[in-house]
Amino acid sequence: MRHKLTLPTTPELFPKQFRALLPALLATRGNIDAGRIEQLRARRSVLSQSGTFVGHRRYERGDDLRHLDWSAYARTGEFFTKQLQEDDRRAITVVVDLSPSMLAGTPPRRLGALRLAAVLGGLALARVDGVSIVAPGASSANARFTGTAQLPQLLEHLKQLPTAFVPPSSAVALALQAESVGRVHWVSDFAPVQEFSRPLLMLRRRGAKVAGWIATVPEDEAAPAGGYLRVVDPETRAELSVPVDRDLHDELRRQLVLLERQQRRMFAEAGSPLWRWDPGDFEHPRLADYLPIVAACTR
Amino acid sequence: MTLASPQFLWALLVLPLLWWLSQPPKPHREVLTPHMQQWQLAMRALRRRPPRGSWLRFVLLAMATIGATIAASQPFVERQPGPTRLVVLLDVSASMAAESGGVSAFEQAKQKLLAQFAQLPEHVEVTVLRCGGELRRRHGSAARALQDLGEPAGALHADLSGLARQAADEDCVVWTLTDGQGMQQLPSVGALTRLDTRGGNAAIDAVRIVDAWPLKALQLEVDMVAYPADGSDDRVSVELQVLGATTNEQRYSCWLRSGVMLTRTVELQRDKLGGELVIQLIMAGDRLPADHRFVLTLPPLPAPRIAALAESDASNFAGVAAATLAEEVGGEVVANTSDASVGMLLVDGGLVPLLGDDGRVVKRRALTFGTRLADSVDAEVWRSPSPLDWSRSSPLTVGLDLSELRIDRAWRGILPAGEPFLWQQDGDQRVPLGVLVDGGATASMHLAFRLQDSNLPLLAAFPQLLRRAFVRSYGEAATSIVSPTGAPASERNLSAPAVGEDRALPEFAVAEQGLAQWFVLAGLLALALRAFVR
Repeated sequence: MRHKLTLPTTPELFPKQFRALLPALLATRGNIDAGRIEQLRARRSVLSQSGTFVGHRRYERGDDLRHLDWSAYARTGEFFTKQLQEDDRRAITVVVDLSPSMLAGTPPRRLGALRLAAVLGGLALARVDGVSIVAPGASSANARFTGTAQLPQLLEHLKQLPTAFVPPSSAVALALQAESVGRVHWVSDFAPVQEFSRPLLMLRRRGAKVAGWIATVPEDEAAPAGGYLRVVDPETRAELSVPVDRDLHDELRRQLVLLERQQRRMFAEAGSPLWRWDPGDFEHPRLADYLPIVAACTR
Repeated sequence: MTLASPQFLWALLVLPLLWWLSQPPKPHREVLTPHMQQWQLAMRALRRRPPRGSWLRFVLLAMATIGATIAASQPFVERQPGPTRLVVLLDVSASMAAESGGVSAFEQAKQKLLAQFAQLPEHVEVTVLRCGGELRRRHGSAARALQDLGEPAGALHADLSGLARQAADEDCVVWTLTDGQGMQQLPSVGALTRLDTRGGNAAIDAVRIVDAWPLKALQLEVDMVAYPADGSDDRVSVELQVLGATTNEQRYSCWLRSGVMLTRTVELQRDKLGGELVIQLIMAGDRLPADHRFVLTLPPLPAPRIAALAESDASNFAGVAAATLAEEVGGEVVANTSDASVGMLLVDGGLVPLLGDDGRVVKRRALTFGTRLADSVDAEVWRSPSPLDWSRSSPLTVGLDLSELRIDRAWRGILPAGEPFLWQQDGDQRVPLGVLVDGGATASMHLAFRLQDSNLPLLAAFPQLLRRAFVRSYGEAATSIVSPTGAPASERNLSAPAVGEDRALPEFAVAEQGLAQWFVLAGLLALALRAFVR
């Protein structure tokens, strides 16, 4: 007999401390990889002839000189490029896994994943033309944001994302439907591994550069300390009543190490990096905890 | 099914408690995980299984509990009314030996009985009455096993109809198994099984023997009778065969009228070695082989070696007597030497130590005439004893005429103790002149006078007396031919049995039967199965 499963509620996703942390985080220097630049530039020459001004961004090498805002240069002494609405092609895509399995962990992995998506999106807004948030299962499955000014909308969008079970293949198909894919940052738990290997290879075959992100939780490394537990997979609702003792604790740790190896091997075979990010203290976020994200993006 | 103690059913209220107890403990807390596969692999690696409740295990436990509760309530099947005793009237008269396909009617009846007994409830009391020949009664387990009922023999003296009427009542069923031979009507009460023995039959009624032992000559008078299968008065062709211990086996074919006795005299020469002499009457279609065959066991004929002893001054009467005896019995006279083995000793006068220390004759098969049997015997001369008389009933002298016997001289006190067959009549007293010392298997004859002192050798009865003395000295061996008795006349005619329809046995009462042990067994079985179910 299956028990009724009560999914945990996610605490405040973007508290004030986090929001206060974001400007400093986005102000860090460095270029982030936005995908196939040469190809995108050729397309931009056609597509960026007109558009609505939506904001500024720092000039980067290769930008069209015609879009330089000389007035801003006069005021600040730095080069800024005017961003038009149709000129968001140098974007990144963040695929967010909304499946119930992301609710596992204390605190839930979903919390770290959405903050990770917020940081990645914010970096994209600040340093490239925009970001597409692909969240299969959400009412707006593919939301596009452009310019730093849309950072609040981005955070609000992420905050409103529901929990939905969509297989990884559907998420990949949705991401590939976007006009500009760029680098794909896939935020998920990548478990079980065999469900992700084929979609990952499909992305690579379609030319997308993929980076995998796992917002780690303590349960990724070891079982709870002990006791008689009901272990439930929130996605399949499969459950297991297990008395946890020292032997089982050690064996599960060994199995989790094996899982991590499988995940790394899967991404290595696809020629993509896999980043494991530890969110640290959720209630009191520190800049140092989030700098590894920036470092990984600009590496 | 009825329960004797239904109050124990209250114990079934324990089932909800058992259901509650059979549930596995609830986990202390719930943990969400995306790594269910890793949890399962870890459990499998440690060969562990999660504690879980099992419907099947609970059902088996509930079955065991229900079984124990119902067993405690003492369930039983109520008694069904009906008879509880069975009396079997089994016809074992001679006609039941009639065969069909090599199996006798008696064997068929026994097989039917055993098959029926195997289906009878244990509580039914069974009594088997053997009717016909010797009456026997078997009861209980001995009856169910048909123990020692013997073989078909004799006439059916019992009135089966009357017996059945007397024995039958509400609680008792009578079952009659008979062939109907020798009966006016079949029993009208109780169950009836009729066995078919109808057919032709040839029988030897009696065999009379005239034995010339120790000579070979043997005369048989055989009484024969036959009945055709259809019960008609037609004549029947039979063959009388005399086979076995004879030098001339004989077969006589003749015609017998239905039911009419015919006597046939057969002259035989016996085989010296003896053996079985088979007399059988062969008829085509004879269904009752038991009564057409007689077997006589003939003892071997003696081939005696006769020795004669006589006083030196005596005449040669002893030798002549021995020669005469040898001629009569087919023996031979042997020389009187110390190492000779003889079968008959004939002594005339003198002294032969035949008496033992106790004064009894120890060496028999001897015929002595005026012979002292021990040194210690004092012989007193007895002149011309008269008048003489002899026994008319002794096997030695029966039918002999010794009225002309004259004895010149005899001796008193030389005869051993024995049965007198010749004596001098002295008033009312008989003074023995000849005695028979009977030892059962052997015997000896002693006379108080020598042959030359009497005219006995000259009498016509002398050779006969010698032969009888010889025969008597061989004791029982000479009379060992036992003639078996034939089947009774009422069991011979198999052509007209009483007729009637078979009737089956009624249903017997079913005893009250307790079922508690079966429920206990079912409960234990459920518990045993539960031990293997996870």
